[in-house]
Order: sequence, then structure tokens, then C-alpha cells
Amino acid sequence: MLNTADFYHVWRIDQSSNALKEEIKEHCHTDIEMCLECGKCSGGCSNAHIFDITPRKIIQLIKMGEEAKLLRMDALWSCVACQLCVDRCPSSINIPRIMDYLREKSYNQSIPASRPNVELFHELMLGHIKRFGRVPEALLSVEFNLRSKQYTKDAQMGMKMFFKGKLNPIPARVKDIKKVRRMFRNMPMQREG
Amino acid sequence: MSNSEKTALIIGGGMAGMEAAIKLGGAGYQAVLLEKEDHLGGIMNQLYGSFPRWDNPQKMAEQKVKMVEENPNITVKINTTVKSVEKKDKSFSVELSSNEKIEFDAVILATGFGFYDASEYAEYGYGAFDNVFTALEFEGKLKEMESWDKKDLPKVVAFFKCVGSRDRSKGYPYCSKICCMFTAKEAGLMKDLNPDAKCFVFYMDYRAAGKEYEEFARSVIEDKHVRYVRGRPAKVLPDNGKLMIRAEDTLMGVPVEVAADMIVLANAMVPSETTKELASMFEAKTDQYGFIDYIPGYPTQTGYRVFFAGGCGFPVESLGAQYQGAAAAAEVIALFNQG
Repeated sequence: MLNTADFYHVWRIDQSSNALKEEIKEHCHTDIEMCLECGKCSGGCSNAHIFDITPRKIIQLIKMGEEAKLLRMDALWSCVACQLCVDRCPSSINIPRIMDYLREKSYNQSIPASRPNVELFHELMLGHIKRFGRVPEALLSVEFNLRSKQYTKDAQMGMKMFFKGKLNPIPARVKDIKKVRRMFRNMPMQREG
Repeated sequence: MSNSEKTALIIGGGMAGMEAAIKLGGAGYQAVLLEKEDHLGGIMNQLYGSFPRWDNPQKMAEQKVKMVEENPNITVKINTTVKSVEKKDKSFSVELSSNEKIEFDAVILATGFGFYDASEYAEYGYGAFDNVFTALEFEGKLKEMESWDKKDLPKVVAFFKCVGSRDRSKGYPYCSKICCMFTAKEAGLMKDLNPDAKCFVFYMDYRAAGKEYEEFARSVIEDKHVRYVRGRPAKVLPDNGKLMIRAEDTLMGVPVEVAADMIVLANAMVPSETTKELASMFEAKTDQYGFIDYIPGYPTQTGYRVFFAGGCGFPVESLGAQYQGAAAAAEVIALFNQG
């Protein structure tokens, strides 16, 4: 979580590193120099009200080479990847992709998230995608609630949904799971520590 | 081949004045082109590059000078200024610094703009610190740097926009209109000379209202990697042989510092002293700042048989100056055709 103290210093922008910017250009195929600084991403962000730092500022921090701050920010874990920002961006800057990249990087460096259980959810969800190629909601919520010791959470609603036929307890799998596995091999989760 | 004995006086041999002379001469009227320097071309001669097409400014001026020289109806008088004017019924009797007295049926003022004295901004240290230049001085510096050893080239160059423009306390409330573009150009040219140099442009907003202008400014940011920082620098202090710039990055709301080797100030464009003198001689209308003003409904006319074009009316880029020169000439031609 970034707070005001993170901004209490003079920023020597002539000494800032271009490394993260270049990395993002390579891995996310997105040139953040194309940012027009208009703020349309932040204005329309579905979760901006709970972000410690809004999407436009995230792009600015990348420009300033502030990797350490970016990997600590709470927005990494409160972004729901709804894609509204990239959909509306006049420069088509793929912010969700950048968020994904930074989130993986933060996770791989074992930087603790400021919210409880988000890393657990992250692991479970990606684990399910690896196993099934998709996210089976019923299984994920059961597994997540058990592992996070929230035994009664969602139980009532889950039952209702089950009886209405909205939840399938047997996880479905995509046809070609090999392709999904190959994606995971190319981009492995390697957590340090 | 002249179709009339009518003669127009054009004061100022820059892009606007030359264009007006070419059009008048082409229409068969006599045009006398006055230039106070010893050569035509005006400010173009001092520029290192141009926007939005990176054309060579000297070549652009040369092309016009050639068109002027090839036109038999144009008389060029260099090193010449206006000494006095006597207003007659339908003409002006003008005494030149060469002591000639010539009768003119119309006048086009094309005296260009002057520059705001950047030393008014004590916080930027112009005149006090070496390596703080005005934008026009920097164009000459760029030319000079062509022959420098790469290791001697500046590694961090900062560009300040709105020095005297959009300033109600020390400067002028207006936007000088072309600084955004020439600053982008100069930063881009610096990057061409030394791609390893870091260029910072401090801006409040960049105003790129013109054909190809936005694309030009973006290409400087995206292709030449000039870093734009939103915020007006507050002060410059010498720091171990460098110039420490303090500003706010208003997009982040944080104080920023840049240790620069060179600072370039985009100082405001103001009415020149010559413009003010000539305006009173020819009874031309001027605005609150001293720029030549137009008569409502007559966009190139400023007085009885007095017209204007280019930077004496308001800061304008070379292409705009040519448009205005041609437009003023069209008005004079229309006037002369009426007999």
C-alpha cells in the first residue's frame, strides 16, 4: 500500500531509470510514452475509489522508473482487470496487461500484499486456470473459503445458487488444455523466499 | 510588364514581407521591399530547424529570396529603414534612411516580432548563469554543437515554456502561440545531435493547434524520447557546475529536481520597437500590447491604405506568415485594381 509518506521526497527525475519502461514495452507490447496524460483511464476505472494510486498515476510512476513503489501498491490487488481503461484509452495503452505484469513481478518477489488473502486467491485462481483452462466458481469459492478459514462465507448464497442451477459443482475443462499448460510453462510463477 | 504605376511599400523582408512582395510583383504592381538588415529572410536565417516537417529554414528562406530576386517588379532595399512619413490624400510620401523620398500608394507592415527579456525572470538566472539560453540563442547553439565532440555535448537539457507568456505579473497574459512547437522542435533536434542526452520539457500544456502539429509534438515525445514534465519550473540554482532546476510535477503532485547542463527558455514574443514606431508613423491601429491590430471585417488592414502581415500582428510561424503576406498583398491588389 502506498501512502502519502511515499511521496514525501524530492524526485530526481533526471536520474530515473528507464529499465521498467523498456521492460513493459517488451513484455506488454505497450509504449507508455504514448500516454496523453488525459486521465480517462482513472476517470472511468471501476475500482479507482479503492485504489491507493489511480491508473494514470501508475503510468506516470512507470515513466519515473519507480519500480519499488509500483510493486508495493495496493492497486495491483484491487484492479479487477475489467478492461474499461484500455477500452477507453485514446492511445490504446493496455493497462490491465501492465497490471498483470506488475502483479506477477510483485508476487514473484514475495512482496506482501496489503490486503488479507489476495495472494491466496491469486494462487488458487491461476492454479485452476492451469488445471481446467477456466475458473470454476463453485470450486474456487469453496476452496478459497476453506483455505482462508472463512467457513461460512458465501454458504447461504452458494446453496441458493446451486438449487437454482447456477453453480456447477463439477468443474468444466477447456478442450485443448495443452495450450493452456504451454502458456504457463512460458510464464512460470516463480516465487522467491 | 507592369500594368500600373501603382507602388506598394513593404516594410520587413522576412517570410511575410517577401511573400507579399512576390504576390504584388506577380500581379504587375511595383513593390519596394525594405529590410533593415543586410539580407532578406528575417528570423529564418537564425533558425536551425523548422516544424512540422523538419525542413531547413535557410533553404525555405533562400527559395523565397530567389522568387523575390527573379521578380522584375520588386525593388529590394537592404540596410534601409523608414525615416519619416508624410500622409497625403491617397498615398504616403516616405523618406527612407537612404534619404530617398518615394511616393507609395499603400503600405504593408511586416516587421515581425521582438522577444521578451528573459532576465526579467531572476529565478531562471538568464544572464547570470552560463548555459541558460533563450530559444533563439539555442538555435545558434545547435548549429555550433554540430561540430562539437560528442563528449562535450550537454547530457541533460531542460526546456522551459511560457517564459513571459501566460504571466500576468512579470510578462504578458497571452499565449505566444508558437513556443510549444519550436520547443518540441529544439528538444527533438537536441536528441538528434545526441541521442544519449536527456531532454526535459517543462510545460503547462502543449498547444499544438495546426496541421501536423500534434503529430509532430507526439513524435518528439514518442520517437525521440523527449520527456515532458507538466509544471512551470520555480527556480534554477547552480549546483556543482550544473544547474539544479526545481519544479512540481503537477501530474503527480510531487516536487521534482533536474540537474541540467543547459537550460533553454522559450521567452515570449512581443511587439518589436520598430513595429511600435512604424505604427505611429503610419497611424496604424495597435492593440493593448503594441501589436498591429486589424480593422473589424478587414483582417489584414490596420489603417487607411495600411496593411500588415506576419509577426508584427501576433506571433506566427513561417507558414502562417506566408499566408498573411499573401492575404495582405491580395487586399492591396484589390485596392489598386479599383484605381
